[in-house]
Amino acid sequence: MYKFLLLSLIISVSLLPGPTDAQDKPESREMTGIGLLTDYLCLKPTDLSFRPDYTDQDSFRLAIVSRLMERPLGMIDYSASIKNAYVKRQPEILASFLFEDMARTSQTARGAAYHPSASEMQRTYNLYYTDPSLGQLLSKAAVHIDIILPKSTRAALGALSKKQQKFLQNQFKELLIIHEEEEFLSIEAIDSLDKAELEYAEQFAEFGLDIKKDPIIAAGIDMAREMLLEAGNLRQMIQSGSINPSEVLSKKGFVPDNADLSSFLGKQPGWVIGGTSNDYYHGDYKFILDFGGDDVYDLSYDPSNPHPVVIIDFGGNDVYRAQSDFTIGSGCFSAGLLLDFGGDDIYSGMSFGLGAGYFGFGLLYDAKGDDQYRGDSFLQGAGAFGLGILIDESGRDSYRAALNAQGFAFTEGYGLLYDSEGNDDYYAGGKYKDILRYTDHFYSFAQGFSIGLRPVLSGGVGALIDRSGNDNYKTDIFGQASSYWWSLGMIYDGEGNDSYHSFQYAQGSGAHMTNGILIDDAGNDSYFSKGVSQGCGHDYSCGILLDRGGDDTYTAYDLSQAAGSANGFGLLIDNFGDDRYFIKNPKNSQGYGNPRREYGSIGLFIDLGGSDQYAGNGRDNFYWRTKSKWGGGIDIELDPPDSTGETK
Amino acid sequence: MTSRFKYVIPIWILVSLFAGMTCLSANAQTYTISEIDSVFVIASSGEVRYRDMVQPAIDSLAAMGSDIVPQLIDKFTTKSARERLTIIQILKKIGSPSLQYLIPALSRPEPLVVQRVCWALGDVRDTAAVNPLINISSHASWQVREKAVDALGKLKDNRADGTAISSLTDSVGQVRKAAAVAIGRLGTNDAIRELTSVLGDEFYGARMSAMESLVKLDSSEVIWVLSDSMISANELVGHLACRVLGQIATDEARDILLLQVETGSVRRRAHAAVAIVASDPEDQCGFHQQILEYERDRLVRIQIESAIKSADSER
Repeated sequence: MYKFLLLSLIISVSLLPGPTDAQDKPESREMTGIGLLTDYLCLKPTDLSFRPDYTDQDSFRLAIVSRLMERPLGMIDYSASIKNAYVKRQPEILASFLFEDMARTSQTARGAAYHPSASEMQRTYNLYYTDPSLGQLLSKAAVHIDIILPKSTRAALGALSKKQQKFLQNQFKELLIIHEEEEFLSIEAIDSLDKAELEYAEQFAEFGLDIKKDPIIAAGIDMAREMLLEAGNLRQMIQSGSINPSEVLSKKGFVPDNADLSSFLGKQPGWVIGGTSNDYYHGDYKFILDFGGDDVYDLSYDPSNPHPVVIIDFGGNDVYRAQSDFTIGSGCFSAGLLLDFGGDDIYSGMSFGLGAGYFGFGLLYDAKGDDQYRGDSFLQGAGAFGLGILIDESGRDSYRAALNAQGFAFTEGYGLLYDSEGNDDYYAGGKYKDILRYTDHFYSFAQGFSIGLRPVLSGGVGALIDRSGNDNYKTDIFGQASSYWWSLGMIYDGEGNDSYHSFQYAQGSGAHMTNGILIDDAGNDSYFSKGVSQGCGHDYSCGILLDRGGDDTYTAYDLSQAAGSANGFGLLIDNFGDDRYFIKNPKNSQGYGNPRREYGSIGLFIDLGGSDQYAGNGRDNFYWRTKSKWGGGIDIELDPPDSTGETK
Repeated sequence: MTSRFKYVIPIWILVSLFAGMTCLSANAQTYTISEIDSVFVIASSGEVRYRDMVQPAIDSLAAMGSDIVPQLIDKFTTKSARERLTIIQILKKIGSPSLQYLIPALSRPEPLVVQRVCWALGDVRDTAAVNPLINISSHASWQVREKAVDALGKLKDNRADGTAISSLTDSVGQVRKAAAVAIGRLGTNDAIRELTSVLGDEFYGARMSAMESLVKLDSSEVIWVLSDSMISANELVGHLACRVLGQIATDEARDILLLQVETGSVRRRAHAAVAIVASDPEDQCGFHQQILEYERDRLVRIQIESAIKSADSER
């Protein structure tokens, strides 16, 4: 029955609109607006398209990124399909959906997880705990941890030499972090650092195609599915009172006096099961099941000895502290799950954690509570040659990170932060200075952001989805639904009065052959950024900011609010509400296209309803063309009141 | 230390290096790769703290003269956009003496280098490059074709007319765009009919560039051809023709537009009406209210009213 339900859900998810559908559906309000404005400017919606061959195509480009570059308006439906793919308490369904979109452009078939043989499946373990529900959870975990994941990892990375594996542990990791001392380096040192990074990327490109990421990710998703099912069954039995944790833990089989406990299920090295009291865990674990209490986890992981990690905590106000990188729902050359079913928790990572997939699959699932997520780099839904997901289903949550976080992706990666309910705070930045552009601003690379290494490695897909609540988003340089180099960055916020604050390259923005989209369905929202934001595409890129409802306020300085730069496309679309648009430099904003390569870019500013206020180029009930190549705007009542005063 | 003093020492080093190199130049000495590289790193730096040193470094490299051009061409394989732009800037400053190396480099096997050499030749603006550029304008790489046609337009030499016209039908939109731009620069009146058909091009860059180039050509001939194009099956041709006529802004152009505001096509009426306002922003002919009164479509009326308001606010 469960399998049938799951299958039907997956089928219904796969029937959701594909990434290209929005351009074929002029009936949506935003598409009608785009049609009206492009017609006014002697353009066509299909003009919003990029060629795949402006530069040589690398072999690591994701097919979904490629397709959306060909038809960027498809981002609108694609973002909605990701938002709608989530089924409560079943993160594995969303994970499967994302996995589908992690195929390379050149990939004709997808790899699968290792299928254990009948004898491997029937392998018997010595039972320590005799409760059947617990026994089932432990035996299934053992099959995944001891057989499926290690063999899937071998299928994924087995073609690599020892030296190449070391390269992934060390040099490749350097591409995803910044050192604070870099801001003090000399010009020659920075130049050689840049060249070294490019060299790492080129070295990687020589053997990267030998990596088959699919088996690890697929095995991780399978493990998540089974662990969530079995943990759910066990919790249900405890909640219904049919069993209680202390009883479960006290039911033990016969253990001879001189027996080696490590051969018993649940007592293997790296395995531990805790009761309902406040427990302390310290070290590099493979499996932890905790029945409750306010627990403290000090976790570590050694990438040179990769293995799966499963941590299941049934409740309590827990503190998870990273003692090394690659912990707390982190899949590093393997899969890592952290499933926490209740309590106000604190997740304090270093780097590469809190739902991070680094050549692997990482899932952090938190069902309830007001939680705090902290850490440095590559965390809170981050993926590189892997899938990293952080799902928080409810509560008033706080997310803080320095860099590469909160729905971040690098090459062949998908990073997703999915928050279902609650008034949440997102902050990323403040640590690593953007020495290239400023003396007083910091990189964020976060909140629905993806990046590739130009021009050698395409990026992936970074997404932040927040379904409801009054949320605050804050980044500095590069963040909030933006991307760099053959990637996709997106934010989809459903309901609530939200505040988006950034400085540059943000809020539906793309720089250098890439796409970014921010969709906010409802609520009175406030957007602030200095520039290259709020619907801005630079250098064959497309940035879209689509706000479907509410009385919103947009503030920017320049090259924003529907600005196309260097043959890019920028769109700002506001469907309903009494809005205010403020811009400091109207000469390159609110429907602006910048001339480059002897032709133009496209900037489309569209407001389809409400009584609006402008500092800039627009006015209520107005069509305009800016003195640019090529852009303009409309502010109209798409559905004007009829003679009775009613609107559609 | 104030920001001004921060640059004193590095610039002093740069100047010393440059002075040394000038001496070397006097002895017909070629520069070593490392000597050029050390200045080039500064010239192509994008960092805010080294910004004041970039232009002196570019000037220093340009002052080394054409001897360094072969090494600059080798650097065209760079994957850095900033480095690529820096090389173009230096070559532009060196000017015509760089052609002795740039023209032979058009036969290099790497399309990436060749397209960038074309770009440099366009920016150096020496017509000695016209025939070599024509010769590679049918290169297999569309990027090379685009940059070659683009450079020919910049050189403004009518020997390139035929190449520009034939490139209007290239299979790649970017090349057709380059051809449309080049025709405007070359002033190729023989291409008006071909250019008009590009108003309906699938690629917006070609379409819009054709519109802008038509305005630069012989207006009486353009009006004649555009008048015929109003009935084109491809509606975009007529719509953009209205824009061109609005910019030409003669009585003959307006007469054609006035006919268009009476058509059954809502879109065509909108384009024609807005073009009429653009052609006579001060409404000396008194058409503004006339076309507004005639129009019943709500959105077309808003477009006309917007055009009138814009014209008023620009006065």
